[in-house]
Amino acid sequence: MRLGLAIDLDTCVGCHACAVACKEWNGESLMAGPLPDYDAYGKEATGTWLNRIRHYECGTYPENKTVNVPMSCMHCEDAACVTVCPTGASYKRPDGIVLVDADKCMGCSYCAWACPYGARELDQDEGTMRKCTLCVDRIYDERLPEADRQPACVLACPTHARAFGDYDDPDSDVSRAAKGRSLPPMLEKLGYKPVNQYLAPRQAPEIKMQPPRPKKSLADYIRDWAGAGKGS
Amino acid sequence: MIETTSQPIAFEDTEGQEVKRTTCYMCACRCGIEVTLNREGRVRFIKGNRDHPVNQGVLCAKGSAGIMKQYSKAKLTGPMRRKPGSERGAGAFEPISWDEALGTLAERLARIRATDPRQLAFFTGRDQMQALTGLWAQQFGTPNWAAHGGFCSVNMAAAGLYSIGYAFWEFGAPDWDRTKYFMLWGVAEDHSSNPIKIGLDKLKRNGAKFVSVNPVRTGYSAIADEWVPIRPGTDGLLALAMVHTLLSRELFDAPFLSRYTNAPWLVIDAPGTAKDGLFLRDEAGQPLIHDRKQGTFVGGLGAGIDPSLFGEFDAPGGLKVRTVLTLAAGRYLDERYSPAVAGPQCGVPAETIERLALEMASIAFQETIEIPVKWTDVWGQEHDKVVGRPVSMYAMRGISAHSNGFQACRALHLIQMLLGALEGPGNFRARAPYPRPIPPGQLPENDEAVMAAPDKPLGKTPLGFPVKPEDLAVDKDGNPLRIDHAYSWESPLAAHGAMHMVITNAVNADPYPIDTLMMYMANMAWNSTMNTAGVRDMLRAKHAQGPKKGEYKIPFIVVSDAFDSETVRFADLVLPDTTYLERHDAISMLDRPISEADTVADAIRHPVVKLDRDVRAFQEVLVDLAGRLKFPAFTNADGTCKYKDYPEFIWRFEKAPGIGFLAGFRGKEGEKSLKGEPNEKQWERYIENGAFFSKHWEPGEQWMRHWNRDYQVKAVEATFIPKVEPIVMQIYSEPIQKFRLAGQGLYEGPKPPKAGDRERLVKYFDPLPDWYAPLDGDGADDGEYPFHAITQRPMVMYHSWDTQNVWLRQIMAGNFLYMNAAEAKRRGLESLDWVWVESRIGKIRCQLKTMEGVESNTVWTWNAIGKQSGAWGLEKGASESTHGFLLNHLISEHLPKAADERSLTNSDPITGQAAWYDLKVRITKAAPGEEGVWPLFDGVTR
Amino acid sequence: MRPAWSVIFFTVSSGAGLGLLAILALLRLLAARVVPDGTALPMLALGLLLTTAGLCSSTFHLANPKNAWRSASRFKTSWLSREAVFAGALYPVALLYGWTLWSGTGGALQAICGVLLAALAVVVMYSTGMIYACLKTIPRWNHGLVPVGYVALGLYSGTLAALPVIAAKSGGPVPVALALALLAAALAVKGAYFVIFGAPKAVHTMADALPLGKKEIRLLDTGHTHRTFLTDEFFFRLARRQARFLRFAVLVLAFVLPLALLTVGVSGPPALAFVALSAFTGLLAERWLFFAEAEHTVRLYHGQRAVG
Repeated sequence: MRLGLAIDLDTCVGCHACAVACKEWNGESLMAGPLPDYDAYGKEATGTWLNRIRHYECGTYPENKTVNVPMSCMHCEDAACVTVCPTGASYKRPDGIVLVDADKCMGCSYCAWACPYGARELDQDEGTMRKCTLCVDRIYDERLPEADRQPACVLACPTHARAFGDYDDPDSDVSRAAKGRSLPPMLEKLGYKPVNQYLAPRQAPEIKMQPPRPKKSLADYIRDWAGAGKGS
Repeated sequence: MIETTSQPIAFEDTEGQEVKRTTCYMCACRCGIEVTLNREGRVRFIKGNRDHPVNQGVLCAKGSAGIMKQYSKAKLTGPMRRKPGSERGAGAFEPISWDEALGTLAERLARIRATDPRQLAFFTGRDQMQALTGLWAQQFGTPNWAAHGGFCSVNMAAAGLYSIGYAFWEFGAPDWDRTKYFMLWGVAEDHSSNPIKIGLDKLKRNGAKFVSVNPVRTGYSAIADEWVPIRPGTDGLLALAMVHTLLSRELFDAPFLSRYTNAPWLVIDAPGTAKDGLFLRDEAGQPLIHDRKQGTFVGGLGAGIDPSLFGEFDAPGGLKVRTVLTLAAGRYLDERYSPAVAGPQCGVPAETIERLALEMASIAFQETIEIPVKWTDVWGQEHDKVVGRPVSMYAMRGISAHSNGFQACRALHLIQMLLGALEGPGNFRARAPYPRPIPPGQLPENDEAVMAAPDKPLGKTPLGFPVKPEDLAVDKDGNPLRIDHAYSWESPLAAHGAMHMVITNAVNADPYPIDTLMMYMANMAWNSTMNTAGVRDMLRAKHAQGPKKGEYKIPFIVVSDAFDSETVRFADLVLPDTTYLERHDAISMLDRPISEADTVADAIRHPVVKLDRDVRAFQEVLVDLAGRLKFPAFTNADGTCKYKDYPEFIWRFEKAPGIGFLAGFRGKEGEKSLKGEPNEKQWERYIENGAFFSKHWEPGEQWMRHWNRDYQVKAVEATFIPKVEPIVMQIYSEPIQKFRLAGQGLYEGPKPPKAGDRERLVKYFDPLPDWYAPLDGDGADDGEYPFHAITQRPMVMYHSWDTQNVWLRQIMAGNFLYMNAAEAKRRGLESLDWVWVESRIGKIRCQLKTMEGVESNTVWTWNAIGKQSGAWGLEKGASESTHGFLLNHLISEHLPKAADERSLTNSDPITGQAAWYDLKVRITKAAPGEEGVWPLFDGVTR
Repeated sequence: MRPAWSVIFFTVSSGAGLGLLAILALLRLLAARVVPDGTALPMLALGLLLTTAGLCSSTFHLANPKNAWRSASRFKTSWLSREAVFAGALYPVALLYGWTLWSGTGGALQAICGVLLAALAVVVMYSTGMIYACLKTIPRWNHGLVPVGYVALGLYSGTLAALPVIAAKSGGPVPVALALALLAAALAVKGAYFVIFGAPKAVHTMADALPLGKKEIRLLDTGHTHRTFLTDEFFFRLARRQARFLRFAVLVLAFVLPLALLTVGVSGPPALAFVALSAFTGLLAERWLFFAEAEHTVRLYHGQRAVG
């Protein structure tokens, strides 16, 4: 099983809905939280987030394109964050989800150093590491209606640019969304085999153009139109 | 592969948790939310309501961050008055009781009402309760009421309502499921944010093309298939160049134009006379058309006509008449509208303009959609299908906030009309209670005697839609009757008022001084104003001489807000409001309900969190004051209050028999909708239903509602429209021509006494959509102020009232001025340079960033990030006050003028829409050592 | 990477301590006359002191040190666990070795303990180096010379630490040649490292980080205004001038000055202690640079065009 997200860069408008929904759910989640804020009303407010949205530009004006890239844990198949963790706090579940058991974490940040994507952030109050859990406490919570057994980010995303599921299941939401549209993995040559996939911005659809009609003079138009009273 | 481990999952402790459904209020979108409360009643989680028609389960960043707003440090905790002896604006307050607060206020208001009700100016911000505030102002008897629409969106609303019977903004929506080509004009992240996002996803999935016309490529434009960087303020010209292309290639929907628009109506050509430019009408006033079959003039609204779309005819009485479309063709086929001429002015290549127009036409005419559905038109003819030309458009702020926005928006509607792409499958479609007659038959109060009459309500609502010069709110000398000069010769169609002029005019006693300025949720001392620093001085301006020497020019300021905004500091009396999770609200059918194209819907809020401080919902305050002041609509015959509180007012009040604020669950048992007796259990029924009501229109009622009999019968019943009749879309606007005639001195009725007004009417009141250069930029030396400077709010904060939210402020707590990278290089500027930004009225210093996605002649920034130090619960030195800046300081509320001329509002000359996107600036590198945002405003920390 | 003083002091101090232990054991095995019994014990004590001081310092790097005892849990995969396990194994061996010295139990037991001690000290130093070298996310660390450098610098600094003790206690010849040989070895390793990583490289680029199939990717906005854990941890900005100065300082304090002083034949405990202190200071700067110059791939997502 390889549970993960498919994130569609063709429809992500960079609205941060996923990031805030994540912070809200996971801030009090027993599996992921707390996610403290520091200097919340002060000079330089900052805090712990499990999902951050970055905004990029490609190409040069006027052929430029703006691309919004949400980033959270990729739940790598070969997750270096897990193997380097000395305490056993970081672990990978059989379903592929990479988690931190905060009760075991000594806050050495070594896993964060090993993660190429910046997906792990330290809770500086408790001194333990935080990361995306794929909302493991939602997706398996049978008390929730089935439609709600999804990560908070997926539920919130207004452009449905996020899908969740098992990449090993060809019929899952993610497999279907990613089919033929996946971008190469980020920092592929590191070999960590990130499970999350990003879907490429699509090519603009082609418009079949109506055969052009010749331009005429205004007087001709009015005469023709007055006579025929028709257009297309 | 690495080893895996299983450990038990610790699930949410749901014991004692409760889920309540209500409506979000973090912006103007009105999404349905499910609020999970933990056993202490504290909000645990806010999630989108999947059954809700607006957001269908999704939720934006603001919506989720609502929890941090509920627990914000910036919340006001109790009523306060300015400390005796302290200066206004210093922010020194002392707590008082509600009894005292409302007692003193009621006493003052009673005195005003008994002498000259106009002395109360009541302006509200982005609230969603204008049906109530408008009724309250009307009952008080003051015309000086409006919300922030004059600052925000009136150009969109008015252009639509004077052209197509509904509008961009909240009165229509693209048919996301069916459209195959979508053109988005300007920044539009401000309204319907989740529905648009949901829609953009559908477009992409369906393979539709998404074109964005916008000087800046962020937000929705980021994912557009094609980005058209345009020079700000030239959208109208670009649209008309597309019209030129469509006409010159004979690409228009003749049947649609002849049946559903006034394209065949006959315009009198009699220059120099009072009839010039008016429609040829019969004795009953019905516009006439030339019937091709009969060869005669017949009523244009009747059944079975076959109108000539083009032609020039001799009408009885020796009048020369031409069809509207003939006039339009004559106008737009002129070379000045050709892509080759217009393109360079818009900064868009001519080929691009032409191609985009042809793409739209190709989709419209080659990829037509037909939906088999039986429907009957208002003429009684039965149809077995609807035909859609699947091109749609949407536009908001980017078009609206220019002084030519009204005409620009009409130009967009003209494209839609030419393509026959309105109200059909794949089109921009109306949302109930729209469509309405064009314009809606609601005139603003303009009787000076009624306005001045003591203790008497106005006879009409303060705001409405003038159709002729007689409808203006001016005195016999042509001077404005309203404090904001709405409906004056300066802003004749100011359908949303002109909030941005209130403070300036009040301080200048123009047309008269006022006693009390009451503001609700309107940050008029900061980002909801032009010339912010100047306006802040005006709020504390005192008479320098005369009997009132030393007294404030605006004697009393009342502010109601839930949070400690910049404007709260300028209050003499602060009435603290609740948060949206703590109160009742009606998102009313009488106002701006949440209908979608296929459904009629409205919604409520109800308290889901218990109040923990001494604050009151402003609605409750209004109902309370209405009782104290004995407004007729709120008082029983025996003088007692009719309603004990706001919820009772909402379910019991009837505007007309059976018509109330909420359209759902009416009738004794809640079995009726749209119309029915008041239902005591209406609130409960809404709450049970997830805080909204929605009803699907029958398939035969869903389309072409301007001409759909079955729909209109129901709409008449619901009082959406007065009668079943064709709502003919107006390419050519006769009301506007009447104002032009007044400007020309030809109108048989009121005419503007001042030459300046006459010129403006002649110049800008074009009955056909036209384009003129933005007023403030017009004549300004391009060399002196070469850049257009515009703003937008980030999606995480749009319309979100406040930005102190501790999660959202982490995402953005400071702003930069963005410039095109190549342009910056040409000017020797680099990212992170400190620069001076100067306009004709002032300068600011800020930090530059370069980017690719901005048109070369444009600079832009995120709006309303800058905060006054100490406001919004932020600590001293918060980066919003040290690294955030407002462009508002650079925008004058007045147009440039010669010394002897009077000041004219920097607004659209037709609608009075504040033209804050017309700003032109120059940018210079700050000297070495000149760093930091300037100006800074002294903070107050309480 | 943000230079963390706790870790810098840890690696320098433990490195010297472990180096000292290894050298002690080797000298006792191969040239016992240089380290007579009376000298060996103080050397052992100093070695353990430096090692322990370093290890203690390293716990200051932990945000939740109460779980530090768990750090040996992942021996199979984590170099940090391995370091902890080997360091943990080293102490009983060192103590037993100390007992043999104290009790005068020479012979096979001391020899076995000595071999074990030297081996463990080197393995611990190597593990420390591998903690960094195994991180593919940080190209400047992800190199074979890194653990070799940790061992070489540890042995070198350990030897320098031994010299004043030997001079003070044994009164006999001081193994200057050994120190000079290790200096040369350490300088060679470090020199090679500086040559390889002298100029910034582009091991990973923004295009690798964001394989969007688009040209010229640039950051527009990071999505947060102020510092975050990521910027704190991975965004140390080192001015080029500062880097040059520090490299110079490393060269002078850690190598040139000790070389000069040892070649001119300074002797006596205070002078040799000064040499050792100079080298330590130089190595602190070296270790600070090791962090400050290292670039993590997270920077690519924050707009840096390449890391390496």
